Amino acid sequence: MKKTIFWTIIIIFILSLTLIGTGCKEEAAPAEEATEEEAAPVEEEAAEEAIEPVMIQFWHNYDAGAGQIDVLDQLIAQFEEANPDITVNQVYLEWQALKNNVVAGATTGMLPDAFRGDIGFVPQFQSLDVLVEMDTAFPDYAEAASAVLEAPNSTAKAGEHYYGIASNTNTKILYYNEELVTTVPATLDEMWTTAEEVSSENVIGFCEAWLGGWNLCQYIWSYGGDILAPDYSTATDYINGSVAVSVIQRFADLYAAGAFSGPTIDPGAPPDTDGMGTGNYAMTIDGPWKAKDLSTKYPDLQYGAVQMPAGPAGSIGVLGGEDFMMFKTSDAAHQDAAWKFIKFMTGKDAQVEMAKVGQMPVNKEALVDDEVLEAMPLLSIFADALQTCKARPVTPKWSDMENIINTKATEAILGQKPVQTAMDEAADEINALIQQ
Amino acid sequence: MASGVFFRTSEYFKKKDNIRILLLLVPGVVVIGMFTFYPIIKMFIMSFFDWKIGFNQVSPFVGIKNYLAVFMDPIAGKALINTMFYAIVTVPGQMILGLLAALLINGIRKFSVTFRLLYYLPVVTSWVVVALLFRYIFSNQGLLNYLLTDVFKWIPEHIGWLSTRWTAMSATTLLGIWKGIGWNMVIFLAALQAIPEQYYEAASIDGAGSIQKFFHITLPNIKGTILFSTVMLTIGAFNTYTPIAVITGGNPAHQTDVVLTWMYFQTFSSLKMGYSAALSFIVTGIVAVIAIILFKVLRSERA
Repeated sequence: MKKTIFWTIIIIFILSLTLIGTGCKEEAAPAEEATEEEAAPVEEEAAEEAIEPVMIQFWHNYDAGAGQIDVLDQLIAQFEEANPDITVNQVYLEWQALKNNVVAGATTGMLPDAFRGDIGFVPQFQSLDVLVEMDTAFPDYAEAASAVLEAPNSTAKAGEHYYGIASNTNTKILYYNEELVTTVPATLDEMWTTAEEVSSENVIGFCEAWLGGWNLCQYIWSYGGDILAPDYSTATDYINGSVAVSVIQRFADLYAAGAFSGPTIDPGAPPDTDGMGTGNYAMTIDGPWKAKDLSTKYPDLQYGAVQMPAGPAGSIGVLGGEDFMMFKTSDAAHQDAAWKFIKFMTGKDAQVEMAKVGQMPVNKEALVDDEVLEAMPLLSIFADALQTCKARPVTPKWSDMENIINTKATEAILGQKPVQTAMDEAADEINALIQQ
Repeated sequence: MASGVFFRTSEYFKKKDNIRILLLLVPGVVVIGMFTFYPIIKMFIMSFFDWKIGFNQVSPFVGIKNYLAVFMDPIAGKALINTMFYAIVTVPGQMILGLLAALLINGIRKFSVTFRLLYYLPVVTSWVVVALLFRYIFSNQGLLNYLLTDVFKWIPEHIGWLSTRWTAMSATTLLGIWKGIGWNMVIFLAALQAIPEQYYEAASIDGAGSIQKFFHITLPNIKGTILFSTVMLTIGAFNTYTPIAVITGGNPAHQTDVVLTWMYFQTFSSLKMGYSAALSFIVTGIVAVIAIILFKVLRSERA
């Protein structure tokens, strides 16, 4: 009797596991269908199903605090009015959660129809084979892409194809506290000297929120160095070359002198925006959102903004921004609806509205619009900075490389290792990643 | 004896009852199978592969490479040491203070419920909320530095409590202890109330003092609870994530990472699923060994 009960339980358990397995298989099915459907002409499918109302899921990280989600809701209402057969369900996810959800969704097949996220996500997601090859999937892609700036849209390219279209662009400029910094530095060397001069018991001259490539590339490039070889074949003599090492040594010296800090190098230090707002930090280099954050949270703060001071090689910032992407998990009707929505969001009207709440447009017509120029007083500074900025290396391993750079640079700046030793270790680890 | 029990049991369960029992068992077995056993088996398999998560991607079998990668990873080693530090400090800390609170509450007649409630309050408070409060207290310009330098003027300059590895870990363990006292108090209070009053009366007649009563009556009678609490808290300590994620985020340079924050980082930032699966099995092994040692120690003491 006991044996019968035991074996019955085992059989039920195995059956339940089989059921789970079957469930997982069914979950994955849409991906396979989507891949097959890709081969079929998208227009035919869409034409057949256009009569049926379609609801698309749109994941994004527009900033609610800056009022961007309110604007997004208004834009969605306009889009739905013009396209009664399509409804858009927008879902906000914070930067890391946005990435994590796509990572999890790549396994389960639970991915949105339209997506707006960091330009750095494109090579990573493409390496997961989840993105729609947009330039081949949509015949009018070239037309839509021609309406946006070429440099930001190049971030959506991986290999020979485009896996997205630019949503908005940015780079970084110098923000400084006008009460603390009376003479605006024109060069990076002057900026470091100013940082030391203005530092005191309660003031830290310069702040960097993090020490990955997003933060360090601009200095290394402006001093004439680089992170990787141009063909991404090695990091040796680049991240551990004399230029990169001298830049990090400068930060180490500033940190030792109490003139440099940030919330990741010192978890007890104030966050970058709050530190600037309360006068704990005198200077920082950041994107257009910083102006909005400072004005909203600290309206009494007197701050100035100029293009990032130049090094010997010029003022070479890092190109940032977001791209719209689409996933293979959607069927043809949803892909068609999502593409319509993305074209609407990259159009002049939507870009002008988003510019009013801090998103720097990529649409060429929106960039010269009077309303945009009025809403973004720093636009001309950013426009100048965009002329000389560079994109980060386009490789799926970039996120890992950035983490290595952050860890090793932090160890060096904290004085736990000699700078050259730490950066040699970084080069070795990055080379190991390249060879994988 | 055992066969007798089995005979009576099998006699007792008629065929109809068996079906009923099985039907009652099915939902539980399915849920446990789905959400516990299946993920464990799946993860064990993953730990031997360079697991890819994207569509149409092949996950190559790499043998024990992921396990070797964990053993050779200096940050994983650092995270494991941090986790052990957290466990070694918080487990006895919570238990000693929890037992002390239970003894005090057990000895009073008035306001017993009020004190129980007050001590238990941190347990039901959100981890994120209290971790944010602790971050505020220990930050460079936080409450603690303000009191020490500006109010009492005991130290000339602010101390960077969260700036270095061990001070930051100490602040986190303080949070762990503070939050766990209430849970231990409740567990120990239940154990204390189960000790027959006659033991203490007899000891009093024999002339035993309070300390002798504690060591010769109280402690031996709550040994089972101490073991239970130690095992549960050790498992809990190895599962700590929120206080580190909120207070330091593993910064600077992963020096304050614990096993779970490092595992999360490797999974979602570096997408190293196989590595994370191997790390989780190594940690499970360590916790299992600790639990077995604790049970053995108690069993030998009972014998």
